[in-house]
Amino acid sequence: MTRDADSPTLPAADRPAPSGDHGPGRERRPSRSRSGSRLAARRNRSAAVLLAPFGVLFLAVFVIPIGYAVHQSLFRVERSGLGFGAPRTVFAGLDNYTRVLTDSTFLKGVGRVLLFGLVQVPVMLGLALLLALLLDSRVARFKRFFRVAYFLPFAIPGVIAAVLWAFLYMPGISPLNDIGRSIGADVDFLSHDVILFSIGNIVTWSWTGYNMLIIYTSLQSVPKELYEAAELDGCSGFRIAWHIKVPLVRPALTLTGVFSIIGTLQLFGEPMVLRPMTAAISSNYTPVMLSYQAAFGLNDYNFAAAVAVVLALATFVLSYGFLRLSTQGSR
Amino acid sequence: MLAKLAARSRRRAVLGSLSAAALVLTAAACGGSGDDKAVGGTVHLEFWGWAPGYDKSAELFNATHKSIKVTFKKLPSGGQGGYDKMLSAVKAGNAPCLAQIGFESIPTFLLEGALEDVSQEAGATKDKFVPWTWNQVTVAGRTYGIPVDTGPMAMYYRKDVFKKYGIAVPTTWDEYAKAAEKLHKADPEAHIVNLRAITLSGLAWQKGAKWFGTEGDAWHVGVDDDQSGQLADYWQQLVEKKLVATDQGYSPAWWSGLQSGKVATAIGAVWLNPLIAQNAPKAKGKFAVAPMPQWTAGEKKFGNDGGGSTAVLKGCQHKDEAVEFATWMSTDPDSLKNLITKTGIYPAATAGLELPEVNKGVDYYGGQNIYKVFGEAAQHTDTNWQWGPTQSQFGVDLDEATANAYAGSGTLFDAFSNVQKKTLSAIKSKGVKVR
Amino acid sequence: MSTQPTARHRRSDPGRAAPPARRRGTSAARLSTTVLLFAIAGYFLLPIWWLIVSATKSNGDLFGSNGFWFGSHFHLADNLTKVFRHSDGIFGRWLLNSLLYCGAGALVATLFAAMAGYALAKYPFKGREGVFAVILGAVLIPPPLLALPLYLLASSTGLVNTYWSVLIPSAVTPFGVYLARVYAEASVPDELTDAARVDGAGELRIFFTIALRLMSPALVTICLFQFVGIWNNFFLPLMMLADDSRWPLTLGLYFWNSQLRDQPWYDIVVTGSLVSVVPLCIAFLALQRFWRSGLSAGSLKS
Repeated sequence: MTRDADSPTLPAADRPAPSGDHGPGRERRPSRSRSGSRLAARRNRSAAVLLAPFGVLFLAVFVIPIGYAVHQSLFRVERSGLGFGAPRTVFAGLDNYTRVLTDSTFLKGVGRVLLFGLVQVPVMLGLALLLALLLDSRVARFKRFFRVAYFLPFAIPGVIAAVLWAFLYMPGISPLNDIGRSIGADVDFLSHDVILFSIGNIVTWSWTGYNMLIIYTSLQSVPKELYEAAELDGCSGFRIAWHIKVPLVRPALTLTGVFSIIGTLQLFGEPMVLRPMTAAISSNYTPVMLSYQAAFGLNDYNFAAAVAVVLALATFVLSYGFLRLSTQGSR
Repeated sequence: MLAKLAARSRRRAVLGSLSAAALVLTAAACGGSGDDKAVGGTVHLEFWGWAPGYDKSAELFNATHKSIKVTFKKLPSGGQGGYDKMLSAVKAGNAPCLAQIGFESIPTFLLEGALEDVSQEAGATKDKFVPWTWNQVTVAGRTYGIPVDTGPMAMYYRKDVFKKYGIAVPTTWDEYAKAAEKLHKADPEAHIVNLRAITLSGLAWQKGAKWFGTEGDAWHVGVDDDQSGQLADYWQQLVEKKLVATDQGYSPAWWSGLQSGKVATAIGAVWLNPLIAQNAPKAKGKFAVAPMPQWTAGEKKFGNDGGGSTAVLKGCQHKDEAVEFATWMSTDPDSLKNLITKTGIYPAATAGLELPEVNKGVDYYGGQNIYKVFGEAAQHTDTNWQWGPTQSQFGVDLDEATANAYAGSGTLFDAFSNVQKKTLSAIKSKGVKVR
Repeated sequence: MSTQPTARHRRSDPGRAAPPARRRGTSAARLSTTVLLFAIAGYFLLPIWWLIVSATKSNGDLFGSNGFWFGSHFHLADNLTKVFRHSDGIFGRWLLNSLLYCGAGALVATLFAAMAGYALAKYPFKGREGVFAVILGAVLIPPPLLALPLYLLASSTGLVNTYWSVLIPSAVTPFGVYLARVYAEASVPDELTDAARVDGAGELRIFFTIALRLMSPALVTICLFQFVGIWNNFFLPLMMLADDSRWPLTLGLYFWNSQLRDQPWYDIVVTGSLVSVVPLCIAFLALQRFWRSGLSAGSLKS
């Protein structure tokens, strides 16, 4: 089927996934018989020109800095005596990495964010899945309103969301404390035992709607006939949701899972905002905070760079592992 | 739906022109950073700091000087990222000539190689300052800046509360502890003080502890030395008996305790006086200031909390002019008047101590001339106190360790030992000798 | 907890069409679902409601009145004046900075991503999949981890504390390239570009006149994503910018909030937060559809 230029189609996203090898979604193999190598060369040049602006910036913003960080992490600043002479930079091999991996505060921070991830990510994704299924079900009313309501917190930048919740946690201002007291539950949101949950709540509040929308849109692209057949067979809405819909949104769940894991490891803004209000958050509460503190508190850029490299690798390994795990089951 | 999309696709022209406009915008919006330029014989200096009132002093200077022009730029306060910004500017080679640096951070800046040696340029001005302040800007015989202010400490106390419970104003720490007990017995909700972690350094200063020092070519750290140990044990006792409130320093609760009288004293520096007046307006006329309690009756030993300098950052091309401005700002009567009223400083310049602005009754304190007490304290502050080379880390560690001790995990002395350990390893990690 | 009504349609009834009117489950199921959905909506909306209400309060009322209802006086106008006057009207400047970083960054990023995505979709050059894999890998790198190396680099090139130090990293969106490629494959038919080539149009002209137009709905989505991404990235400006006249709103509000211990300007922080949230919320509600299309593209192929 051909389309004329004036009626652009929906992006693939709004349609069921193009299946396999037909339909407009695939690109054509150029037939070598017709096009000479001159033409191919011209096309390659054009591709290069189109890729260049992004490519140059990508090099400058991703590749070179990462290379530079790795380079920095292999050096160390040496001083002598009281340290008031000119510092010298010397090659340190993997010393900084040994320091990172044996640093108890770093390991504690990693443990903390892993614990956080193990609790917060499943809770958030579970809630997002539940909401998506409810909104996709036939018993829901006011779908549009609810979709917007759940998604709205995502419009609020993470730092501002943290400031907002900080007020809601702050004794003296917080209406939550008043409500809690009236039902006999006096929770100190900023205390040592509760603080991690309080941070988890901020992240959950901010991102659940976003994840819900990803799952919801992928539910929308499932052909309705599938459900109808099941309904004719007398499946309840409940069973349809569990047996048909959940397996279908697996890719969406995988995607949200990966992004949530990445988000967890880089936990920074929320604890930074809450820090001035509570003694429960130390300067190196999370690995990224530790890296920040090493860079700007101790001016030890080499160590900070090593922390960043280790964290980037850990993120990579975790998200890749998660991808492998979740795609394995579906085969 | 399709029709809508088609309509939207016609807006691509708008998108395109917008992005072009954005490019122009970004190109226009970019300013370089402040290199000091000499234009037509006038030397332009940039000055980074955060204290209110500094900008006015720079204006006063510009109005009276032809050949030097100073531009003040406001940063977040030092501990809140201001120092980071200065250090990173030095690293990037685009630092200003002048920077507001607290005494406690001078060695740290020095270790990073971020300060210019201005011993020659500043040599003649030494006599204009209270002796111990000059020691704060001088390390190993070289001078790196000009002192601005000091933070002599005293005891702010609630006259009405003391009177109500028949408590005499304590002159020794022993009496202070007894007063704490008496108060708490009379009113279980009342506490003698709400102690901030950082105040402990001022108390250690008074006690005669040597938290930092240099011996030959090595640093010496003594956060857990004998004097500090005695100090920690003293306060630990009060904490354990629940005689001390432990609200987050300067949180709303901290101020409301002072305002309501549930917290009867505040151990603090001279700069705390306008803050109390602002944040506890309902307690007007109920506060008075007395000398800090002593460890031995009849002694006169005091601590200091805060104070700072105008330092000259590495790479400054106009050291003479920078020192000229810094000296003028710290010693000129007009500048000092402005800094005393606007910034609330207590001058480091000896001439500044004679000014009427720091020798008068203060309305909020019932007309008491509180500066007499602070002046006395400034005269008897140990001149040998030194700060260490990893201050921002140290401050964070001390804060956290103290908070943990307050929360009941370990004693204050454990906190001090902990800070000692962390500080040793921090200094070692900088590749510096330490004992 | 819906139970199915007893009337069952059997498959052994091939002639029947699907049921004419869709049944909507039992009314009990409907009611319980709606109540649950409203309760959850309360969780998401109440904090925003608190922010709106609190922005109308004086400091005294903030501490002394019901947090979810208006105080004794309506202070919104005073608070707004306070916010915009505070420290010589720096708030307005932060607002403009944010618009510059987000607006310019997102537009440039979108254009470049569109070009790159189109090239990756339509030109089967050697090593294409390798290039694409590297770009996808970059999506997995958390921005804060990138900020430190970027800072080190900017510091050694003297770019620290300039507008560029935030703008340049903001103009790159690997995720946008990925989306642009998906969209280009789906919405730019080869027949059309081939026909244009036959007419003698150059490759770049084809892109700028035909492909860009066909991809434009997608580009709005990419632009939105990047806009919010820049708006949310607080670590980068935190590291790069010393001078508060170049800060974006988020950094400014973070700074004010961190000063609360010394300065009790609660009313200003609350009202400033509200001001910074309102424009984005409105943009959000207006552009909902684009979000959905972008989000689903991401989950298409994993």
